[in-house]
Amino acid sequence: MVKPLDIIRKKRAEAINRIVGKGYLSTKRVYVGMATCEIAAGSKKVMEVFKEAVNKGLTDVYLSQKGCAGRCNLEPTVEVIEEGKIPVKYGKINEERAREIIEKHLKGGKTIEEWIIK
Amino acid sequence: MGKNKKKKEFVITLCDGTACIHNGSKEIKSGIEKQLEKHGISESVRIILSGCLGMCDKGPVLIVNPGYTIYGRVTEKDIPEIIESHIIGGKAVSRLVIDEDHLYNRFFRVFGDVGFFGRQMRITLRNCGIIDPENIDDYISLRGYEAIAKVLSDMKPGEVIEEVKHSGLRGRGGAGFPTGLKWEFTAGQKSDEKYVICNADEGDPGAFMDRSAIEGDPHTVIEGMIIGGYAVGSSKGIIYIRAEYPLAIKRLEKAIKDSRRNGFLGENIFGSDFSFDIEIRLGAGAFVCGEETALIHSIEGSRGMPRPRPPYPSVNGLFGKPTLINNVETWANIPVIILDGADWFRKVGTEKSKGTKVFALAGKVKNTGLVEVPMGTTLREIIFDIGGGIENGKKFKAVQTGGPSGGCLPEKYLDTPIDYESLAKAGSIMGSGGMIVIDEDSCMVGIAKFFLEFTQNESCGKCTPCREGTKRMLEILTRITEGKGEEGDVEKLERLGNLIKKASLCGLGQSAPNPVLSTILNFREEYEEHIKDKKCRAGECRSLIGYEINSKCVGCGACKRVCPVGAISGTPKNPHFIDKAKCVKCGQCYEVCKFGAIDKK
Repeated sequence: MVKPLDIIRKKRAEAINRIVGKGYLSTKRVYVGMATCEIAAGSKKVMEVFKEAVNKGLTDVYLSQKGCAGRCNLEPTVEVIEEGKIPVKYGKINEERAREIIEKHLKGGKTIEEWIIK
Repeated sequence: MGKNKKKKEFVITLCDGTACIHNGSKEIKSGIEKQLEKHGISESVRIILSGCLGMCDKGPVLIVNPGYTIYGRVTEKDIPEIIESHIIGGKAVSRLVIDEDHLYNRFFRVFGDVGFFGRQMRITLRNCGIIDPENIDDYISLRGYEAIAKVLSDMKPGEVIEEVKHSGLRGRGGAGFPTGLKWEFTAGQKSDEKYVICNADEGDPGAFMDRSAIEGDPHTVIEGMIIGGYAVGSSKGIIYIRAEYPLAIKRLEKAIKDSRRNGFLGENIFGSDFSFDIEIRLGAGAFVCGEETALIHSIEGSRGMPRPRPPYPSVNGLFGKPTLINNVETWANIPVIILDGADWFRKVGTEKSKGTKVFALAGKVKNTGLVEVPMGTTLREIIFDIGGGIENGKKFKAVQTGGPSGGCLPEKYLDTPIDYESLAKAGSIMGSGGMIVIDEDSCMVGIAKFFLEFTQNESCGKCTPCREGTKRMLEILTRITEGKGEEGDVEKLERLGNLIKKASLCGLGQSAPNPVLSTILNFREEYEEHIKDKKCRAGECRSLIGYEINSKCVGCGACKRVCPVGAISGTPKNPHFIDKAKCVKCGQCYEVCKFGAIDKK
């Protein structure tokens, strides 16, 4: 019998491969909070804005949903993660702010300080 | 700092746990500050103090982000080197770097630099907010399902139980029964069929720990249950979750399906001879169904009512078979105990309460949210350091822990290290983790009444003390808040409360009087004021307040216009007057007056 530990190691390698295949190694990874609480605060619309941007040709970005990290009064939250940099965590993001994040941060490379959760 | 030539920014996290403080973390902090000033880079480096990072034997511990470089056994003398080589030169000081890779570390790579998160320790919520909960690959990539693989590769059921026992884990649903013992009792029963249940019937007002845990990381609960099934010899798991959590249910369903497809659930898991599957049962949202025997009745299709114990479910549970019931948070701890080891897990927490506890921090606190901290953290650290203190500069009055079964603790308990025993001693309970902060604007009698209304409403009606007793208590509380309280009411509440606690059948009744008894214990003078002086110092009990216009009135007429019952009279530019007989005490005049001319008495 193959040892379960060997099976899971193989499965992990495959899982990582699939994630990478979806563009995980892009320069920027964007996570949008999509738990009940985040959705109630309006995160579905925020997600739509990011999805639309990706569909319309925004490249080098890996977009994913995530659960709630637990920062209730600052929801919806969006994270932008770049290797070698401190992950940027934005709070209270609406559609308009999402568009601005796309323009200024994802395309322009500039963080928007006043929305960052510290 | 000019925006154009932006310097690279760093966040240094310094462990502020008891062990690290003992080893000199305070001196290290001032050492870092001095060095940063010396090099003129204080602006680009932020220092945050974290709660215990669980690496006590290697303390003082210091983490530099980005990069999540962990330094251990740091002394004051090492600081200049770390600053010059790592912060300025970009090269880590390798002789001090320690190789610590625990499951919870990953969360901090993303969130560790935020004060609110940096002070926490995320063991059960380790993946919440950093993975896509609907993608099993995300979970597998972070060592998901490795714990069950390890168990099936190298451990006998008895060894798994020993490991859980050794970890010191206690039930996170509230009562704090040692989890390993529960497993052992269930495993010791001889039966052709056994059941494993996950209690996700989260019903406390203001609590959302379990929902967030499932919505953020459903697989960890599933993996915990599979391990539990293997340990006690069961092949059937059931997750009992309330229908009010549709997204959590949807994600669980998807997770179970994905898990089955990967061979982690179903027949012959990982090719072994162990088979286990999970189904979801929906609850209709009765609070009492969180009680394990009522929950079992509900799954069986009967009315959700508790029965006397013993026999405990581990002996005679679902359909009369031995049944292992644990809460969502308890299950989420299991894969960590297996992978990081019980020895490591034991290091976190206090002598009698190991590991962490998740709290849903809510109420009049600046930063509301999910807080997971090691047992032994003080209420002050949670409310002021993590929660950021009270909103709008108001004064802290009390904190309510444990939901409707818990109690209100005043300021003198703020420095109490939280664990099962200390909270019980202070007159409250750990409960499932609700934590509501109350400021000076809230009436304690009103709070007690709110929680009792809830339990009275949710009482299943089976036993008399709970059914009739809570009703009578609520009547007394209602008349007190309406200004009709009588001499001796407080004593009556105490007598009734203690009787209900002693005589009720299940945990709901046994704990229902807690909010009332604890507020009487700690805020008796507020009850007395309501009864004797007919006054509510917080100004919340409507019947006990009245509005009057004082000499500051300039006669602008704003109050007169807003009054819905025409109780205010007066001519422009002359002081106005409130007719108390007509006034319905809605408070709109008080809100609208710009001159502070209306007194609330």
